Amino acid sequence: MKTKPSTTLAALSVLALSAAWPAHADEGAYLAGVKKHHLATSAVPENGDQNPYAMAFVPASAGNLQQGDLLVDNFNNKANLQGTGTSIISYQPATGKMTTFATLPATLPGCPGGVGLTTALAVLKSGWVIVGSAPSTDGTTKTLGAGCLIVLDSSGKVAGTIAGPDIADPWGNMAWIDEGDKAILFVSNVGFGIGAPGQPVQKSATVLRITLAIADGKLPVVTDKTVIGNGFGAQADASVFLIGPTGLALGKDGTLYVSDAIGNQVVAIENAATRTDSAGTGRLVTKDGSLQRPLAMAFAPNGHLLVTNGLNGQAVEIDPVSGKQLGTSWLDNDEAQTPPGSGDLFGIAVNPEGTGFYYVEDDMNTVVQAQ
Amino acid sequence: MNGQKPSRRGFFGMAGGLAGGIATASAAPTAAVAYEGGGEAVPFYGPRQAGITTPMQSHIYFAAFDLAAENRQELVALLQAWTMASARMSAGLPAVPGEQDGDKPSLDSGEAVGLNPQRLTITFGFGPDLFTLAGKDRYGLAAKRPEALVNLPGFNGDQLVEGLCGGALCVQACADDAQVAFHAVRQLARLSYGAANLRWVQSGFCTGGKSKGTARNLLGFKDGTMNPTGATMDQAVWVEQPGWMQGGSYMVARRIRIALEHWDRMRVGFQEMTFGRSKATGAPLGGKAEFDTPDFNATDSSGNYVIPENAHMRLAAPVNNDGAQILRRSYSYNDGANFVAERWPPWHQGIEYDAGLFFQAYQKDPRTGFIRIFDKMSKFDALNQFTTHVGSAIFACPPGVTKGGYIGQGLLETA
Repeated sequence: MKTKPSTTLAALSVLALSAAWPAHADEGAYLAGVKKHHLATSAVPENGDQNPYAMAFVPASAGNLQQGDLLVDNFNNKANLQGTGTSIISYQPATGKMTTFATLPATLPGCPGGVGLTTALAVLKSGWVIVGSAPSTDGTTKTLGAGCLIVLDSSGKVAGTIAGPDIADPWGNMAWIDEGDKAILFVSNVGFGIGAPGQPVQKSATVLRITLAIADGKLPVVTDKTVIGNGFGAQADASVFLIGPTGLALGKDGTLYVSDAIGNQVVAIENAATRTDSAGTGRLVTKDGSLQRPLAMAFAPNGHLLVTNGLNGQAVEIDPVSGKQLGTSWLDNDEAQTPPGSGDLFGIAVNPEGTGFYYVEDDMNTVVQAQ
Repeated sequence: MNGQKPSRRGFFGMAGGLAGGIATASAAPTAAVAYEGGGEAVPFYGPRQAGITTPMQSHIYFAAFDLAAENRQELVALLQAWTMASARMSAGLPAVPGEQDGDKPSLDSGEAVGLNPQRLTITFGFGPDLFTLAGKDRYGLAAKRPEALVNLPGFNGDQLVEGLCGGALCVQACADDAQVAFHAVRQLARLSYGAANLRWVQSGFCTGGKSKGTARNLLGFKDGTMNPTGATMDQAVWVEQPGWMQGGSYMVARRIRIALEHWDRMRVGFQEMTFGRSKATGAPLGGKAEFDTPDFNATDSSGNYVIPENAHMRLAAPVNNDGAQILRRSYSYNDGANFVAERWPPWHQGIEYDAGLFFQAYQKDPRTGFIRIFDKMSKFDALNQFTTHVGSAIFACPPGVTKGGYIGQGLLETA
């Protein structure tokens, strides 16, 4: 962990933070140039859902989706019980307006255990939105269901579900390839063998590749599912519900990078879109250092990986080629948590223009813009 | 006890205008009435209810009631009895006059014997349930429900407990002595047997009369620096539109539990960023003295605000709420300790103080007052990481009472 905030400036979440730590990233790294953090919006919709998790930009306008809007889902319901959130909000950066894109029912016939929306969120050019569910009925993994992937149409209505024996609590932020009439999704499944908190780490989490055929106006059809990574650690947790592989980011060369939260490392799965077998837990890219339970991951405009830490409020910048950790930046140094920002970060998304990024803050249930 | 009369205040021995348990207020005393023991009395009668803009007393005992009265006549009788008793207690007299019959329960429970009025004020409010309950207009008042008496919307982070919310009537008793305040509510509850039932209560305390300068809350910060005063306060608080609420005000009450153990672990510098003020002086960040005008535009070298975007005082300031003003009249509370699971990272669990703030705000229209201000605060206030709203209620507090009248008469007797 980096030095504690200065006593004069650092304090509250984002806001004074970049002032307190303007240069925690090395010179030349992307994060070093990110100076300003702006509270964009509350992520809490009308139904009072809490705990924003996933973020994804809308690539093309369709139905109620406007190109450039940012979708954010919520993992908790109004009572703040994890695994019970059912809403997705839409934030329009140009106007600063937040609306509710979707409010799902708490149970769906094709989604074992119900609905608790996770960090797995993809928005396709065809207007389909695909979101993961890792459901609970009491806010703990004692009542964990297998969940599913939920397919929403561009008006936010449930159109279908994707479930089965190879899907168990699709959790991590999805990476995807969108070719219009075909899409390939990469999603981590962390629920295999997970019970009540207190059990040991399960080496059971997978990375699953799902291929969809998307005919015009028709519900996407799964044409292939292949496990391309397995054996990742996953664990039930009394405080944060589930810990497992969370960040997924696809490089231009077809390498899928995975943040392995239990292993405190980032690994790579080569030829993710084409391989026919599992790469196991992949090739190690970087481990420990500034990583503190790495969660969601995204590519910065300079081609480096940005990964949010679960156990403090830092983002870590990584050169995926060399595996070198280039620097860190305190996105959230909220001292209400110890260490500052612990448990606050999750989703991260670089804006389409490449001029900055957004991240969620679970301490205040907000979305913050950094640039 | 039969025939024995405590000497102080003529307790149990007062003659008065009580008839059949329902009194007219004609026999009730004025503020200047003599009582034993000295001290101050706040006039009960007047065009506006006391206990709203009255300088805060050191204690509050608040009670919300459900109504069991079956018709308007019974409701009127209750309010007449409450008016009479309140006027008497505000002047340091027993709640009910009359000769005590030793074979019957006490006319007054007696715990205030020997205590002066202690600036007792008794303030009444009418909740939404008075006008309709489960869609039923029990007293023919539904059409008279003011538009401003809205049902409070659900706010972000609300963790409301049903047993700490709502009510058809409320009684706010404030005094410089806890026993006097409780005594007042207790007597009114006794007088309401059969007509109203206790729904929830809340006691609280305030150091306003003892503190040097602005009183501090349990967070250790000065609380109320931005409260309006003088004409600005009057304009914010009192309903001006003609109608039965003219001269009245709307009360929003919220029981706010504060995670004091969590707060106590925080650096003072962090606490100050959370509040937006210096803890020692109350000065806004970037300023020097408590009443300095906050500079909400001041930024540091990186362009971030000196008073953070989510600082409590920034979000509450009228200048950042289109001028919206409310009069805060909040009391701290401390109701022991019990198990709690905090709702913010890192999700502390265990036995913690059940303590915090019994927030009360008065305004002429809650839609442009509390709701306008708190909607934003509920989403963005950094202090929310330490606070949880568990109780909530809204009441229309009618104008004051003139001698011979009773509280709410304008509502109950106008066409």
